[in-house]
Amino acid sequence: MANTLRLYLTCIRNTLEAAMCLQNFPCQEVERHNKPEVELKTSPELLLNPVLICRNEAEKCLIETSINSIRISMKVKQADELENILAKKFLRFLSMRAEAFQVLRRKPVQGYDISFLITNYHCEDMHKHKLIDFIVQFMEDIDKEISELKLSVNTRGRLVATEFLKQFI
Amino acid sequence: MAATAAVAIHQFAECITCHAWSPDQSMIAFCPNNNELHIYKFIKDKWEKLHVLSKHDQIVSGIDWSRSSNKIVTVSHDRNSYVWTQEGSDWVPTLVILKLNRAALCVQWSPKENKFAVGSGAKSVCICYYEQENNWWISKVIRKRHESSVTSIAWHPNNIYLATTSTDGKCRVFSTFIKGVDTRGSQSSTSTDSKFGEQIAQLDLSSTWTFGVRWSPSGKTLAYAGHNSMIYFVDEVESAPAAQNLTLRDLPLRDVLFVSERMVIGVGFDCNPMIFAADQTGLWSFVRFLDERKATPSTSKASQLSEALGKLYGQSKQGTSSDTVEPSKPRGGAHENCITCIVPLTKGRDGTIKRFSTSGLDGKIVVWDLENHITVAK
Repeated sequence: MANTLRLYLTCIRNTLEAAMCLQNFPCQEVERHNKPEVELKTSPELLLNPVLICRNEAEKCLIETSINSIRISMKVKQADELENILAKKFLRFLSMRAEAFQVLRRKPVQGYDISFLITNYHCEDMHKHKLIDFIVQFMEDIDKEISELKLSVNTRGRLVATEFLKQFI
Repeated sequence: MAATAAVAIHQFAECITCHAWSPDQSMIAFCPNNNELHIYKFIKDKWEKLHVLSKHDQIVSGIDWSRSSNKIVTVSHDRNSYVWTQEGSDWVPTLVILKLNRAALCVQWSPKENKFAVGSGAKSVCICYYEQENNWWISKVIRKRHESSVTSIAWHPNNIYLATTSTDGKCRVFSTFIKGVDTRGSQSSTSTDSKFGEQIAQLDLSSTWTFGVRWSPSGKTLAYAGHNSMIYFVDEVESAPAAQNLTLRDLPLRDVLFVSERMVIGVGFDCNPMIFAADQTGLWSFVRFLDERKATPSTSKASQLSEALGKLYGQSKQGTSSDTVEPSKPRGGAHENCITCIVPLTKGRDGTIKRFSTSGLDGKIVVWDLENHITVAK
């Protein structure tokens, strides 16, 4: 289990390492604008081929690159309904606080649970290897966090049920 | 090989987009990733800020300082260009109307310094020249040739040919003959026969964006880099182009520089200059990295962002960080971020460049000395 996760994350890290070669690039279509090309997609020649890394059907990571920005979208594991609800709530909580993370996108790309948008400005302000570390660390932690939440929900459910059923004894 | 190649490292700003040296190399002009142009002078073993020239509205994307006429030309994403001339202690700007409707991306003086070329996001190249009678810089545009932004330009030593690279993946060579500015040489060379804007060659070698075009000192060889981590060397561009492609193991290059006819330095996303050399038969190969990498001990410090993430969780996450994936190590070289610009400095007696400087997104300007390293290539 841990081994396959390591392979998955190493693959993502290496892809990000190669894909995060960004530069300042002014918009070709609109005068005096400078926007992430991966979001606008106005000039097809400024986009690179997207890379999709899948661990299994439920867990995948899409890396879309352009000349001045890169978008990383991921789908986290949701084995049952409880995990589904937990993941949804938790990622919504994070997305609503996207400013605090700088690289987090407010809305995930369709079909994914959470998206990051890294532009050339982020690469100028922050170290590239730390940005990559953050993304990989995030992916590593998110699974753990959701299983922890699931455990505590189950424990709490059991406790509540026990307390509730005590009155019938 | 004990001597390190980086002889001087100066941290001037947070981030530097481009830089240029004065003709005597006592002054340096650079853009600290905003609309200003800073000029520093080396006074008493210390760099002192002399001028801050802020005339542009947006980020300055290109600077070139002419060697003989001591003029600075700057271009910016605000679509304008200024030629700065020194009058007394002040720098006086002259606006050049580029007739562009998109950002200007790069600029270079021609070898004779009677013209300069500007590459732009408007998918065109401007050739500007000075008209004495009107006291005005005139711009002539080469349109409808490029299918995307022009990322880099280079003048052939004959003052006529101009090579361009573009994000459409092609490298093109144009004639920029302007009547009244250039004289038709009586030499038998074909270079002066062509009209303004005529395309001499189009090289379609790269499958993706191309950057950093340069001619060799004699103008025989053309080198440019592709974003697919390739570097291309093209001989005899005008008559029968013969190309050599070289695939790199590392991240793509942003700019190249011919040190001599047979040696090229490439800089880019790997934060470390690479040496390329041609052997006796003219076959190019990668020699090595110029900067020796020091093995930095991997720090277990979590990144700032994951600390922030930890804070948001409301509980410390640092302790739980497992060893699933090793954090990537910071680079131990002179530059810590992508190198975007490489400029030649002193030339040796044999005409080869002995020193050059690089600047990058980490805000450093590093001066490199090849004296001890040039033998490696031979």
